[in-house]
Amino acid sequence: MGREVAESCIDGVIIEMVSAYCNRFYGSKPELAARRIEAIGYQVGHQLIERYTMERPRFSDHLEAIKFICKDFWSELFKKHIDNLKTNHRGTFVLQDNKFRWLTRVSIDPSSENLEASQDSPVLTPEHKVEVTSMHLYFPCGIIRGALSNLGIPCAVSADISNLPACKLHLDFGDNKNFPPRMLPE
Amino acid sequence: MIVCVAVVGHQNNPLYLQSFTAADDALKLHHIIHCSLDVVDERVNNPKKSGPTLNETFLGMLYPTENYKVYGYLTNTKVKFLMVTTDLEVKDADVRSFFRKFHAAFVDAVSNPFHVPGKKITSKIFAERISGIVKSFGSVTAG
Amino acid sequence: MAPLAPKTGDAVFASIDRVNAELFTLTYGAMVRQLLTDLEEVDEVNKQLDQMGYNIGIRLIDEFLAKSNVSRCVDFKETADVIAKVGFKMFLGVAAAVTNWDAEGTSFSLVLEDNPLVDFVELPDTCQGLHYCNILSGVIRGALEMVSMKTEVTWVRDMLHGDDAYELRVKLLKQVPEEYPYKDDE
Repeated sequence: MGREVAESCIDGVIIEMVSAYCNRFYGSKPELAARRIEAIGYQVGHQLIERYTMERPRFSDHLEAIKFICKDFWSELFKKHIDNLKTNHRGTFVLQDNKFRWLTRVSIDPSSENLEASQDSPVLTPEHKVEVTSMHLYFPCGIIRGALSNLGIPCAVSADISNLPACKLHLDFGDNKNFPPRMLPE
Repeated sequence: MIVCVAVVGHQNNPLYLQSFTAADDALKLHHIIHCSLDVVDERVNNPKKSGPTLNETFLGMLYPTENYKVYGYLTNTKVKFLMVTTDLEVKDADVRSFFRKFHAAFVDAVSNPFHVPGKKITSKIFAERISGIVKSFGSVTAG
Repeated sequence: MAPLAPKTGDAVFASIDRVNAELFTLTYGAMVRQLLTDLEEVDEVNKQLDQMGYNIGIRLIDEFLAKSNVSRCVDFKETADVIAKVGFKMFLGVAAAVTNWDAEGTSFSLVLEDNPLVDFVELPDTCQGLHYCNILSGVIRGALEMVSMKTEVTWVRDMLHGDDAYELRVKLLKQVPEEYPYKDDE
């Protein structure tokens, strides 16, 4: 068993990272904030996959790599496997986690800059809550994109959170997109 | 004795190259490394259909020259490790063990947040660790 | 009902949710790297890390008090020991040492040699002014402020700069008496 830290440490860093980029640095440019958060995730995924594939043989094909992401890799990060994996056999995969750990653990407070209005804050509109949650999801999307990219499988990764606390990640291998697609509803 | 080790990226870009021998051999070693890459590509793209070795990271001996033997290893992230040795009798277990330790050192080096993927590894700690692994090569099973 | 006995750092750490340290280490590292790219000035990054730490600290204290059963510290000396033996252990999995008390008993040093934040980190020469672990100083300052102690936390030694340990100097500036949450109406 490798070194461990309290889960609240990673929760705290993620919340502050997203808050800093969304509120302090790119307050009026959520697209830029999203790209930075995704880029941070990308580096983490790139490095983690190097470590988590160290003791194992190479994958025979892309499907085997994706299954690894869904099982072993997801377990290392979230202590469970992906619940459902679907594909349209035409370059798109959908990974579904019915109870995405970071959505259930992380108490997402959009007004975290203002300490007073925390747990008892006025009612958040559903749109606002989705927006803030989406920002957090750019990070795990980046992790998955970074991991797959380092395995030689570039793809675009986006999240669908229309059914919280379930989270669906869409992996798109069709176009070689480098930028995260918009996750906010148009 | 190990005379040279190399780390090469998936686009055959050099990430790390270290000789442990006199300078005038260096050019020859670089040439050997270069040729080895072709052998690796060939091995990986035209694998012998012998099941168990198909996806192994350890590629075994790539080719012998007059004075050297070259061993290769390919990670899941398509990074190649190459080792050139003058030893005539090399134990399989020793080489595997060498590459396992080498791989661990590599993973730590690329886990440095300031390392740029695809660029050369500049870590002093990595260089020291590799020296140590090279020095202790074969010592476990040495007769 | 008798109050619960305070737990040791090891006991609390064993009882809370934990994650692989690499996820935390690499996330923090990728974030620092991105901050350096986006903010450019090392001093600005130091400031942001401290701010993030502070925000985390003011929330972390609740979890700390709840899970460790630590009751009100009698004095600053006790506070120091609790931070080092229980606080650090509970979150980072490593205990710190308390040293160098000043004559008045209002400032001490926290010393760490093993630090999960810095695993695998080698600072480039261009970042010598960076306090890579500055999030820690913010966390301590934020947490202590929530228990009515205003402190100043500064770095004395930094292993990433070649020193033999990490040393933080914690100085008590003001002990703020507890205020009632309800103000008398005026």
